[in-house]
Amino acid sequence: MPSDQSKPVQDAERLAALPDAGPRNPEPAGFLRRSILAGGLLLLFGLPFVLLLLLALGQYWRFPDVLPPVYALDALTRVVSADSALATGFLLSLLIATVVAVVSTAGGFVVARAIAGASRPDRWVTLSYLPYALPPVLLAVLIQPYFIRLHLSGSLAGVVLGLLLITIPFAALFFRSFWGEQAKQYEQLSRTLGCTQVQAFRWVLLPLARPLLITCLFQTFLIAWFDFGLTNYLSVGKVQTLTVQVFIYVGEANSRLAAVASLLLLIPPALLLWVNRKAIVRRVF
Amino acid sequence: MNLVRLILFSTLLCTACSTSEQRDPATILNQSWAQIEQAGKDQPVTLLMWLGDPYINDYMNKYVKPEVRKRYGIDLQISGGQGAQIVQTLAAEREAGQPSQLDMAWINGETFYQLRQIDGLLGPVTEKMPNARFIDFTNPFIGVDFQQPVNGMEVPWGNVQLAFIYDSQKVAQPPRSFAELPAYVKAHPGQFTIPNEFTGMTILKSWMIALSGDPKLFQGKFREDVYEKWSGAVFRQINELKPYFWKRGETFPEQLSTLHQLFANGEVAFTFSNNDAEVDNKVNLGFFPKTARAYVPAPGTIQNSHYMGIIRNAQHPEAAMLVANFLISPEAQLKKMDPTVWGDHTVLAINKLPADYQPRFNTLPTRRYAPKRDAIQGLAFQEPAPEYMVRLYKDFRTKVIEANEN
Amino acid sequence: MKQWSLLLWLYALLVVGLPLAGLFNAFLYSVGLAGPLATGFTARYWQQLPGETSLLASLGFSLYVAVVSVGLAIAIALFLVLRHQAALRRRPFPTLLYVPLLFPSLVMAFYLFQLLSGSGWLARMAYQLHLIQSPDGFPELIQDGAGIGILLAQVGLAFPFFTLLFQSLYVDARLDDLRSLTRTLGASGWQFNRRVAIPILIRRAAPTLVLYGVAVLGAYDIPLLLGRNYPQMLSLFITTKLQRFDLSDLPMGYLIGCLFTLVLMAVIYVTTRWTQRHAL
Repeated sequence: MPSDQSKPVQDAERLAALPDAGPRNPEPAGFLRRSILAGGLLLLFGLPFVLLLLLALGQYWRFPDVLPPVYALDALTRVVSADSALATGFLLSLLIATVVAVVSTAGGFVVARAIAGASRPDRWVTLSYLPYALPPVLLAVLIQPYFIRLHLSGSLAGVVLGLLLITIPFAALFFRSFWGEQAKQYEQLSRTLGCTQVQAFRWVLLPLARPLLITCLFQTFLIAWFDFGLTNYLSVGKVQTLTVQVFIYVGEANSRLAAVASLLLLIPPALLLWVNRKAIVRRVF
Repeated sequence: MNLVRLILFSTLLCTACSTSEQRDPATILNQSWAQIEQAGKDQPVTLLMWLGDPYINDYMNKYVKPEVRKRYGIDLQISGGQGAQIVQTLAAEREAGQPSQLDMAWINGETFYQLRQIDGLLGPVTEKMPNARFIDFTNPFIGVDFQQPVNGMEVPWGNVQLAFIYDSQKVAQPPRSFAELPAYVKAHPGQFTIPNEFTGMTILKSWMIALSGDPKLFQGKFREDVYEKWSGAVFRQINELKPYFWKRGETFPEQLSTLHQLFANGEVAFTFSNNDAEVDNKVNLGFFPKTARAYVPAPGTIQNSHYMGIIRNAQHPEAAMLVANFLISPEAQLKKMDPTVWGDHTVLAINKLPADYQPRFNTLPTRRYAPKRDAIQGLAFQEPAPEYMVRLYKDFRTKVIEANEN
Repeated sequence: MKQWSLLLWLYALLVVGLPLAGLFNAFLYSVGLAGPLATGFTARYWQQLPGETSLLASLGFSLYVAVVSVGLAIAIALFLVLRHQAALRRRPFPTLLYVPLLFPSLVMAFYLFQLLSGSGWLARMAYQLHLIQSPDGFPELIQDGAGIGILLAQVGLAFPFFTLLFQSLYVDARLDDLRSLTRTLGASGWQFNRRVAIPILIRRAAPTLVLYGVAVLGAYDIPLLLGRNYPQMLSLFITTKLQRFDLSDLPMGYLIGCLFTLVLMAVIYVTTRWTQRHAL
């Protein structure tokens, strides 16, 4: 990939030759540049919300009108009231995503430790990539026969297990960099100083990994929250999470309902991010 | 690595799981309706259906669900899915020797064909159902599904016909027939395209029959010579018109919803629907412009029915039959046919209905943007055998989409 | 460490065993030993494989999309991390960069469709500014031959994630201290970036980057809405065979799915070995 990135990086370098605003001494020029950058990103990431909202509320909106001629709440009320299932779907999504996030983060953390200590860690790492070599829909199609035999097809447990197939290796790979020499030395040190294995985990390694754990929780939560193909296929359409309900609208129906549905899907994790941004963001840096 | 051992172990683990006992279809079907009613009461039923239309969802959730609960104590659970997913799930369940997670499914001709291939349906069931006596099975658009006699293996639910939808504000004179279509497309470049999915294939089938001038050719079993000759003629016309299609025919919408969006945005002037009344529903939602209209071009388009299938290895087949019987009751069919509810045409023969129902069917609020049913009945072709669809699908890809003769 | 190896075996059984068993099943499908229409062993589908010419186009197009979109996203992320290091540590950037992670790919695809199509939002603005006369006049940004729409969607989703990743690695590897050190030793900022920062960041992030590339290779929703029918991305190609109406297409779908997975495994194996050998 070097050929793709060399040019922008050179540009970056030419810009870098300009007087530099050091990391901890803001200057007016740095402030302006930062504002432009922030404005650009805000526009880039904020525009989807604006357009989706317009699509959701605007009726009979077509080329070449830049803004809808008529606004109405009908699509919103229709989606929200048509299915009282949306509320249960929301809770179901929350439950599944939380369970998957907690189990896979914990599991991945421990598995990563086991891999780091194994005799051939590289092989385990390669194997951990296997679920990613399969597109999720194909993975679901392939494991469905076994899920049927295990009586997991069409059940909540089956959906959680199916998602763990993806998120545990994700978490294991995520924590692989954590279990470098440093962490191993810390662990050995605390063991030498008389900690049990559990104590070493609880008092030394977990605090050390805390920012990574929070990021991993957030990431695995999102993977589970947004999954459609695997959930819908393995549950034979029976486990109707919010995402499953919403995707059916986005993929099949018209753009007004799709926009309402997309917003429904985006708002909960956006709130989560907003409420927990200190926990999620600050500790990463 | 002990991969082989691992595979063997997991395979063993899975096959070692117990096989649940299956109920014999014959004993289920040998029951009288009274016995079926008794056995089906107070049970859950899982219905797999397409959930992409809010009107249809409302009909199911706000009307059918409470009604079957009130009448039979049945807890109707609706899950989302269609077509190939049903087939693959049932095939996998059957290979595993497990009862199905599904009790009934909303199916269309091509799924019916596939389910017959894997023997996935319970039947004949319609002869058990009291309300089936109102169904007009002699009507070839109901009693025959993709040239396969239904023979009681699926319960007719609704009847629809392919319609062209256009924007009357932009298109003053839409092509009134397939014969006028090429000249029209050439005169109005970039406004027309065909979706590469089920509805698009239905257009191709209608076009093929229109070109041949003889709908009888396409009745009965699949005929290679008929297919080759007339599909070739359609593909020749399309390839000639390709430069005048949307995006110069270099690509086609992969989903009907994409084409609907292009139409709603005003990028193309035509879209299509397998349901002749869908345009009303989309205008009411403020999605299509109020100037949208639907019509059927001469000499006609394909009309077909959609059905409810009862799953052969269902865990609650009796309850599923009770639900299906309710769905074909005059009451439920009348409600469904109302354009403000769904607008799906009934499968019941109105003259067979109890006297008090007949006027109610005849005085339903009319469609505002869709053509009247009586007006298009003379323009209906029967659905040809499923192989036509399978072949058109393949050949549309190789002979039109991937062809670069220019 | 007995309990560790027991854990690893459990892990293998769940995470590797089940998909492998599935692959084995797919192989049985492809030789006619399993599936709804299986008639007994046949090598027919394997023999027909060379005839699937559009498969090659699919493979090439998928590789192109994966390499270009991940490459562009890496370039943007490196630019932000190395060039705007000071800004990235301040509000609102840490929060802002998380926002695109909230977008499922289907929603992203739907949004770009509404924004960039010939009758989309941008085209409407262009019309009001008298830049175009009709939807035809707007440049083809989606469902275009070069896959620009797909690339935009993938880059838009990937670069914030890569930026966050590089940023945490940057802090983790104390690159700021290293930068001051190399500056004192007389190296230019460019030399530091090129010789020190970029190699460290790329190598440390390599497994995640490969993983992401593989996910892009297997992406479904984005090419479904924003791509052309031909060439199709692989996931679409396989799904079309598996989920459309022709049951006799199933074995070929499974066969290609099976091969696709094996090829990806090989790619992953080679890259992980490479990064392990060249690890810092």
